[in-house]
Amino acid sequence: MPDNWGYVIGAYGLAVVVFGAYWLRLGRREREVAALAAGRRDRAASAGRETVRSGPRSPRPASSRADAAPPVTRR
Amino acid sequence: MSAWLGWLAAIGLAVGLVVGFGVAPREATQGTVQRIMYLHVPAVWVAYVAFTVGLGASIVFLARRRPGADRLAHAACEVGTVFLGVNIATGAIWGKPTWGTWWTWDARLTSVAVVFVMFLAYLLLRGAIEDRERGARYAAVLAIVAALNIPLVHFSVYWWRTLHQPPSLLKAGSSTMPAVIVAALLVNFVALGLLGAYFVARRTRLLAAEEEEALA
Repeated sequence: MPDNWGYVIGAYGLAVVVFGAYWLRLGRREREVAALAAGRRDRAASAGRETVRSGPRSPRPASSRADAAPPVTRR
Repeated sequence: MSAWLGWLAAIGLAVGLVVGFGVAPREATQGTVQRIMYLHVPAVWVAYVAFTVGLGASIVFLARRRPGADRLAHAACEVGTVFLGVNIATGAIWGKPTWGTWWTWDARLTSVAVVFVMFLAYLLLRGAIEDRERGARYAAVLAIVAALNIPLVHFSVYWWRTLHQPPSLLKAGSSTMPAVIVAALLVNFVALGLLGAYFVARRTRLLAAEEEEALA
């Protein structure tokens, strides 16, 4: 029987393609998930900075401020 | 951990190629094309092991509802399907020069094709159901049913008249193959087994990261 090297190379080549494609797919998906996680962390960090810069959302009542004018009373 | 497994698998595959092509002799009747066996047979053994892991992890998931068991079952069944696909494709390539046909509907080929389609359905099912918990439950049941077909695949060559040869190694009694061919098969089984373990470890970790990201 002839050696049929073409079939041997075809079989091993196909296995290399299938396993290689699966390996690449795992790597690509890992990078996608890592990028999503990094994006989420960045958004959370920038939202935190924004909150610190703008201060608390509800202003303190005027009476509690140090520079507030003294209350005017009528006699 | 998975990086080490990856390097071990790469070294194992290189050794397996050297043993399969350099150490194992040219087979007397089939010639060099018989060397496809060192890929075709270990690939199905690794698939069997992966599906057995998937079966065990699915049973644990159904009994205990542990997400880790579900992830392991998912990863093992996916990797097993890849290896079984390689086994079927390389079998067809080997069949053409030796049997004169790429495919025939004999009991072994048909039963292994049924298992392959069942695990493809398993992977489709996992992607089709939005509710993660419900999808995991249905998939676990399907994995158990599909994996229970593996003995049918193995014994099909005894129970029906087939073109496919009976098992040469996984059978009662001693092997009729020369020791060097058995050694080449086992070396390649270890190499492909390491590759399968590496894929399962990476896929399991990726599934955990995907779930964490989905919940965030």
